[in-house]
Amino acid sequence: MKNNLSVYVHIPFCVRKCNYCAFYSLPLCDERVMRDYTEALIRQINSIKTERPVTSVYFGGGTPPVLGVGALISVLEAIKAGFRLSDDCEITLEANPESVSLPDLKDYRNAGFNRISMGMQSSNDRELAILGRRYDLSRYKSAVRAVIDAGFENRSTDIIFGIPEQTIESLEKSVMTAVDSGTPHISAYSLSIEKNTPFYNNRDTLILPDEDTEEEMYYLLCDILKKHDYSHYEISSFAREGFQSRHNLHYWDCGEYIGFGTAAHSYCKGKRFSNIADVNEYISLSTGDYFSPTDFHVQRYLSDTDKREEAIMLGLRTDRGIRADDELLAKSKKYIDGGFAKIENGRFILTEKGYRVSNIIIAALI
Amino acid sequence: MHDAERIYVTDSMYDIKKIRNFSIIAHIDHGKSTLADRILEYTKAVTPREVSAQMLDNMELERERGITIKARAVHFNYLADDGNLYDFNLIDTPGHVDFGYEVSRSLTACEGALLIVDATQGIQAQTLANAYMAIDNDLEIIPVINKIDLASADIEMAKREVEEIIGIPADDAPCVSAKLGINIRDVLEKIVTDIPCPKGDANTPLKALVFDSYYDAYKGVVVYIRVLEGCIRVDDTVRMMHTGAEFDVVETGVLSTFNLQQRDALYAGEVGYFTASIKSIADTEVGDTVTLANRPTDKALPGFKKSVPMVFSGIYPADGARYGDLKDALEKLHLNDASLLFEPETSAALGFGFRCGFLGLLHMEVIEERLEREFNLDLITTAPSVIYELDIKNKGIVFIDNPTNFPSPDEIETAAEPIVKASIITPAAYVGSIMELCQDRRGIFIDMKYIDTDRAELHYELPLNEIIYDFFDALKSRSKGYASLDYEHIGYKPSKLVKLDILINGEVVDALSFIVHSDKAYARARRIVEKLRDNIPRQLFEIPVQAAIGGKIIARETVKAMRKDVLAKCYGGDITRKKKLLEKQKEGKKRMRTFGSVEIPQEAFMAVLKLDEE
Repeated sequence: MKNNLSVYVHIPFCVRKCNYCAFYSLPLCDERVMRDYTEALIRQINSIKTERPVTSVYFGGGTPPVLGVGALISVLEAIKAGFRLSDDCEITLEANPESVSLPDLKDYRNAGFNRISMGMQSSNDRELAILGRRYDLSRYKSAVRAVIDAGFENRSTDIIFGIPEQTIESLEKSVMTAVDSGTPHISAYSLSIEKNTPFYNNRDTLILPDEDTEEEMYYLLCDILKKHDYSHYEISSFAREGFQSRHNLHYWDCGEYIGFGTAAHSYCKGKRFSNIADVNEYISLSTGDYFSPTDFHVQRYLSDTDKREEAIMLGLRTDRGIRADDELLAKSKKYIDGGFAKIENGRFILTEKGYRVSNIIIAALI
Repeated sequence: MHDAERIYVTDSMYDIKKIRNFSIIAHIDHGKSTLADRILEYTKAVTPREVSAQMLDNMELERERGITIKARAVHFNYLADDGNLYDFNLIDTPGHVDFGYEVSRSLTACEGALLIVDATQGIQAQTLANAYMAIDNDLEIIPVINKIDLASADIEMAKREVEEIIGIPADDAPCVSAKLGINIRDVLEKIVTDIPCPKGDANTPLKALVFDSYYDAYKGVVVYIRVLEGCIRVDDTVRMMHTGAEFDVVETGVLSTFNLQQRDALYAGEVGYFTASIKSIADTEVGDTVTLANRPTDKALPGFKKSVPMVFSGIYPADGARYGDLKDALEKLHLNDASLLFEPETSAALGFGFRCGFLGLLHMEVIEERLEREFNLDLITTAPSVIYELDIKNKGIVFIDNPTNFPSPDEIETAAEPIVKASIITPAAYVGSIMELCQDRRGIFIDMKYIDTDRAELHYELPLNEIIYDFFDALKSRSKGYASLDYEHIGYKPSKLVKLDILINGEVVDALSFIVHSDKAYARARRIVEKLRDNIPRQLFEIPVQAAIGGKIIARETVKAMRKDVLAKCYGGDITRKKKLLEKQKEGKKRMRTFGSVEIPQEAFMAVLKLDEE
């Protein structure tokens, strides 16, 4: 087993929740809650002692910068103090175009953050409004400028396709806007309407692209990015040489990680667990015994079968695929014949067509 | 044993004049079980606490459906106003059309019947059918007006209906509330005064009627009998006159509320049981006559009919690995239900299962539910079929109960299907809609009469094939639950029948084939392929769904290929959620049958059985 760890820090606050977001996050809280939350995070970080090298740190949300540049840096400092970060440790900050300024970005860079993942989602102002994003294209462009000026070479951009009212043409523009910004990494997600979201509640009024169009968008996006030297290295991730997300690859490699903060998940010593999904509960628990290293809320202890199945499930997300043993080959002929998968160097790898329906294939193989 | 020795009646308790054998006739929910409970409570046969569950319906399922599936009987004593202690035998009757024959045998065991009429609803088709049956059996009928405690009760209406529709006086009918225990004694006194005591001579050769039986793991089959003539005692060798089987009696007795109460003998007029280490319930068919092997009665009781399954269906375990469990379960059910037939069957689509024969649709549903509940089995059943009579070219007459074996149209000289005479009682407001339904099901109108200003009784000739799917459900939904149905078989009639095959991905799925009248084939085919299209989940490849008659495609739909099924986002390292979703997907696959490269969920097989749901 790989010895290195990843660290995830969850900041659940947003100025406003986007219309498609089903994840645990809160609209902006008052200063006191955010200060208490910062302290709770640091307490949880301090409760963990390990000598294992940490090769990536990821601040996700929510919108992490909402916590404040000082608070975020203090959390990063606690991680640096408590863990052995490798020299080339990838330290990512998720941000939205409206949540960053050049001075803040410089501070983040100086504190050790070396990767920014920015949710552009679309370059079309109408689509941004539909999604409930709080910026327009020009704001996005100036944010990108600031990120570059602050010295972040390693950048990622999120794109969503299948947005209500989106057209092939507008998607193409969005993709090209991202490419033109020089971002070496792009995550592209197909919009899914999740329960407990405004989109879900208004699903009957949404004018979603039909499935033919949505599929065309997917292949178009793949084609454009390929043409611009991005490799489709994971179901929804595209990167230029040397800019794959180390943090995410660690997940797909079944690597272990520790999650700090409310609703954050961990995978450690063969167990998967998660922290309580309630900011106030999390804060109050952090002052008790909750954070003794053995006292996480255990979700699931992975059996050998679990591990094997997860390796398939996660491995098939990437262009490295999984080892093609005889049993697998016997089961997978129809996927290969149908163009959903291929065998390369003794490995079973999903194609672009296969990624689209990966659940069916994975469910059949596990 | 010499005849001379058989100068019996030594039992000082036995007095045929003090015996009353009766049953209760009622429509579902009109309070049969509740009245039985109250009677048992009143006569101290049970304490109120013991009545927590209705005594006569032993099976959980029966209680839920408010029906009694197997007849039961109970013996108890009643101290009447005349100062005498009476022996009462209450013989319960199954309350559904599928069990008409069992009802008739139970009634044969009685001299009288309580006819319960719900004062809020009046007479229903089933009540009527059973009441006529009781009259045909020369039973003394005592109308009992129930539910008088309800505000909507109309006692006069109920009495009037009894007099006008059934034609028996109802003037001094007891008016009761079984629920509240009001006027129960009136009913008991009526039984004493109005129902005649049994006739019969304990000194003549034994003649006893089998009206029910069940299998007991220790005693073997426990046979419920009504002794009409003579006497049966331990160590007698008895003969079942129809099956010819002979047995040595091990035990005789009466049926008390909770157990069997041993007696040395049962005499003419009495109701009770005997055991004789009988291994198979098939040897003790309902309606058979029991007599002594060495001193037989000269003639068996009339009216014996072998129970004949009318409806057939394939039953398969949803999980093929549970075939053995299904087999064991069917064998266990068969121990107590000789009318349930089953034999192994193989389907290309469903694997190993059983072809099962049932008395009717309710019987089928009850068996399926018991298999699922009591044996924890997940089942896939195929469309029910009746028995068709075909004249096949170069082959002659054959009977077919499995659509798979139905030949293609050009091989059939003539085809005939079973017909029933259906009697439907409905509030007048729904007559139009119900006639439409019957018409739609190829019904031939016989007649209609108004029972009163508000209710009509309709008679139709209907192909059994048309009512086995969901006719009863459709009837209920068209009448807001008020219409009631009864039917009797009246024979076979020629019909233009064809087999409709369903092809999925170009291959015939045998389990989905069914027989249909050719005029209705196209409409049925369209609905089926649409239903399948909606119930087969999209898969990696496009799947054509077709319906065909003898190789000619008459309807087609397509299950489009799955375009997108992917979990892209991975919030905060939440692998567990992804895993759970995939596990759910995988779990769902277990309930699918792989057919070629297509997976067909259980629901799809079930959906085609419920075609006519709106």
